[in-house]
Amino acid sequence: MKAKLGLLVGGMGLLVAALPALAHHAFVAQYDASKSTTLHGVVTKVEWTNPHARFYVDVKDKSGKVTNWNLELASPNALRRLGWTRDILKVSDQVSVLVAPAKDGTKMANARTVTLADGRKMVAGLAPDQQ
Amino acid sequence: MRKYLARSIVTALSVAALLTLSATSAIGQGQPEPPGVNPAGGGVPMRSLERLKAKSSGPAPRTANGKPDLSGLWGPAPNFGRDISAALKAGEKLPLQPWALKLTQERLPKDDPEASCLPAGIPRMSPFPWKIIQTPQLIVFLIEGNVHTYRQIFLDGSGHPKDLDPTWYGDSRGTWQGDTLVVDTVGFNDKFWFDGLGHPHTEKLHIIERYRRLDFGHLDFEVTIDDPGAYTRPFTMYGQSPLLQNTEIMEYFCVENNQDVSHIIGKTR
Repeated sequence: MKAKLGLLVGGMGLLVAALPALAHHAFVAQYDASKSTTLHGVVTKVEWTNPHARFYVDVKDKSGKVTNWNLELASPNALRRLGWTRDILKVSDQVSVLVAPAKDGTKMANARTVTLADGRKMVAGLAPDQQ
Repeated sequence: MRKYLARSIVTALSVAALLTLSATSAIGQGQPEPPGVNPAGGGVPMRSLERLKAKSSGPAPRTANGKPDLSGLWGPAPNFGRDISAALKAGEKLPLQPWALKLTQERLPKDDPEASCLPAGIPRMSPFPWKIIQTPQLIVFLIEGNVHTYRQIFLDGSGHPKDLDPTWYGDSRGTWQGDTLVVDTVGFNDKFWFDGLGHPHTEKLHIIERYRRLDFGHLDFEVTIDDPGAYTRPFTMYGQSPLLQNTEIMEYFCVENNQDVSHIIGKTR
């Protein structure tokens, strides 16, 4: 009985632990993880900057219309510790990015995993929860 | 009754498990998540520091003058970011005065000073390392983020200066009580939030921190908050930082390219 209760509490703990946040701003106040999707496109610009590295991707829809997305990564310090280097993403690279889009409807998103042109899959996010 | 209760718990557990599974599978359009990715977005807590935690559990080193040596690169402790209530003893609540509770409930994530790259103050921690440099007369904390900053803790026996201007990190004076470093800090401004939920304080804030290096790899600490302007009584929070190896403090100038604030429209955190 106690063991089952422990399991239940543990299960709920997992759910709570899944609530994300970022280093310096609240994830859920800015991005909608329930609308996560995968963008396929071509890198047009990379900013290796704080508080977030960013890269911009041209994504073509079925009608051929191209939209440039502004994609947020973790900060360069965290990315380096996750195994990234600043030349991993290059202009003209073809990438697939699992993103959580901005709640305000702008073409911004939080990148969570990036599949690089050579097939490597990189973890892009950082979420302290501590936050 | 016991049987009914047991069945209810099993049902609840199944629902919790299903919710967890659906949260995992609903995202990513059928693609499996690589290890370590949080399906709800944003990665995994402090993942970038996990593999850097020191493995050794040997005794804490000592300095030439016999004091515990707190030097090193330390990771953030859990529970000092989003909601400091989590760092209280189990079952305890923050003793907020009514106005402070109301203000906490009214604060919006877009107004969090951290979102605008302002300092975190004490005791809030970012998901980045901090470094202790120790000398007999002065201990310095180098803080990688949320802003790249420092704290100075004077151990020369001097007291707090009179007429302090209010600042983000206040004025810190330290003493050794046995193997514990006790840090007394006053002179705070009221601008920083204790955490992402916006728990407030006033310029009457007085903080006492107690640091003890349990063993080679772990730094235990307690933070006692005494702010008669915002809380009905003093309260104490508890944390533990892991020693990090094979990394160093890295630059983190948050204001460089902060595009987030105008897009933070939600009310929850």
